[in-house]
Amino acid sequence: MNRESNTYTIVYASVMVIIVAVALAFTHQVLKDRQIKNENIDKMQQILRSLRLDVPANAAEAKYNAVIKNAYLINPDGAVVEGSEGVSVNDPAFEADIAKDDSKGLPVFEAEIEGKTKIVIPMAGKGLWGAIWGYLAVDADGSSVYGADFSHAGETPGLGAEIVSSRFCNQFEGKHLFRDEQFTSVAVVKPGRSVSDRDYVDGISGGTITSKGVDNMLLESVGKYKVFFRELYSAQ
Amino acid sequence: MDSINIIVRSIFVDNMVFAYFLGMCSFLAVSKDVKTALGLGIAVTFVLVLTLPLNYLIENYILKNGALVWLGEEYKDVDLSVFSLLIFIAVIASVTQLVEMIIERFSPALYLSLGIFLPLIAVNCAILGGSLFMQQREFPNVSTATAYAFGSGIGWLLAIVGMAAIREKLAYSDVPKPLKGLGITFIITALMAIGFMSFSGINI
Amino acid sequence: MALSNKTKAVLWGPLNKNNPVIVQVLGICSALAVTSKLEPAVVMAVSVTIVVAFANVIISLLRKTIPNRIRIIVQLVVAAALVTLVSEVLKAFAYDVNKQLSVFVGLIVTNCILMGRLEAFALGNGPLPSFLDGIGNGLGYGWILVVVGFFRELLGSGSLFGHRVIPQLIYDAGYKDNGLMMLAPMAILIVACIIWVHRSRNKELQEETN
Repeated sequence: MNRESNTYTIVYASVMVIIVAVALAFTHQVLKDRQIKNENIDKMQQILRSLRLDVPANAAEAKYNAVIKNAYLINPDGAVVEGSEGVSVNDPAFEADIAKDDSKGLPVFEAEIEGKTKIVIPMAGKGLWGAIWGYLAVDADGSSVYGADFSHAGETPGLGAEIVSSRFCNQFEGKHLFRDEQFTSVAVVKPGRSVSDRDYVDGISGGTITSKGVDNMLLESVGKYKVFFRELYSAQ
Repeated sequence: MDSINIIVRSIFVDNMVFAYFLGMCSFLAVSKDVKTALGLGIAVTFVLVLTLPLNYLIENYILKNGALVWLGEEYKDVDLSVFSLLIFIAVIASVTQLVEMIIERFSPALYLSLGIFLPLIAVNCAILGGSLFMQQREFPNVSTATAYAFGSGIGWLLAIVGMAAIREKLAYSDVPKPLKGLGITFIITALMAIGFMSFSGINI
Repeated sequence: MALSNKTKAVLWGPLNKNNPVIVQVLGICSALAVTSKLEPAVVMAVSVTIVVAFANVIISLLRKTIPNRIRIIVQLVVAAALVTLVSEVLKAFAYDVNKQLSVFVGLIVTNCILMGRLEAFALGNGPLPSFLDGIGNGLGYGWILVVVGFFRELLGSGSLFGHRVIPQLIYDAGYKDNGLMMLAPMAILIVACIIWVHRSRNKELQEETN
């Protein structure tokens, strides 16, 4: 058989491509369930971190099930969407991806920490390069922030990527979403600066655009829950 | 406006060489004189600008989860992203091959100055890196992706030409023996990278 | 079974005198960015070793059948397939690390060590020597990565594998973690230092010109 003939080359290439494609598709099928499970566990860890609970991956599911008491979707008026309650990973609240589509409703997770109810909501926005997202845990008064956690797809390492650090996230504890009856959310400002009419935290030095992205996300993503939080706030 | 923004950012802030070390092999090997460095830089930019938008279209209309929806509703759950790496590298290899053949056919002079670098480029990490970052960063449209490709290429070119210029001057320096050649090149790269970090505060 | 001298050279050469990173200047691209912590550095080193070793074996087995014209493409496809496998396995069993490595897993494909070894060794040698050559080069690359990761994590975050090793006492005395170590340029500087030490000990590797 002539190794350099056209037919040989073409047949060789096709056989190789088919073998490789089958092998990859097979592995992907075999490992898919585990990968999806890992993604879910990662999401649970993020939610738990916003509740100031840093648990390893193998303990995340048990802790999540113990802490999260209820989860549901709400519509922009703050009313619970009918039939959306459920805390399992296949229920609408956990499955919802607000970055893509929030027409079905906005997810809310209710957690119980030391006997007190905390509300966890997801956030989604844009950083310097791509998506940033996170979770914000708020006390039952609808205003005091209990904790926050942020993640990103591809911010610059050492700069914008620092939004995931606990140093940044911990600053949010005890800030308020409402000031003088107005929804102001929490601002992210340049380190050293301050704003007078809103609660604020220091941004990342060198990660200006990412910090701005977080600031926007806190206004817009959290802003969608404005009515919902106001009801809790007024009920005080 | 957005495109200009992306170009500036990818040249200075997220420079392929200084922020991600991509394309370091050829960066270190071919930065001995400015002329060849310039040639390679142009070739890299050229191939990046060709392959990245192509891979962007493939990613968004074929590979991504739900990307095949234009074929009909029943395809909306098809996820071919497991093949993305394979396809990206195949596209890059074939585009490089194609470019090489075209240049050889139509401009022998350019081929003589550029052509020798083209086979090197198929395995230049900056090219594949560009496509992988494109996939990760989910650019909104082809023109942003192209702008990113152009910026990254120019950033790489700037880095390698700067390096070559410094190395030409370095010929007269008295460097400790064990550091001669490779060692001092690494140190200069690090210093240049620190210099480039001062751009990270840029706000456009 | 004692290893013959040639086999030993194939395995040990890349760890020292023939190191792919600090002597042959290959494969620096894809990996230094993952060395800010020790754990991803180790995972990266292991992944590269596995991919190089098995790609070497596969290409070596196929070497008599590959049409010369599409040689590079065949090598790239084999490499890309192996890398995708590694990345799928990481996603399933080491999700956290996979997240930290992000695009750099994919970049193993264009790691020059991989293509260099396939082209220079696997195409001309049998499967067993090719396998050892792959292991040797992977490890030679890996130890550099691990050393860089060790210093960056120790000096940059005061920890190793995420565990704090610098006692609180020293922090109380005014010591601070060096944030600069976490940034990209320091990885290159540490490699430069490794080259310095290595070449002072192996004088025959020193270059004449700058």
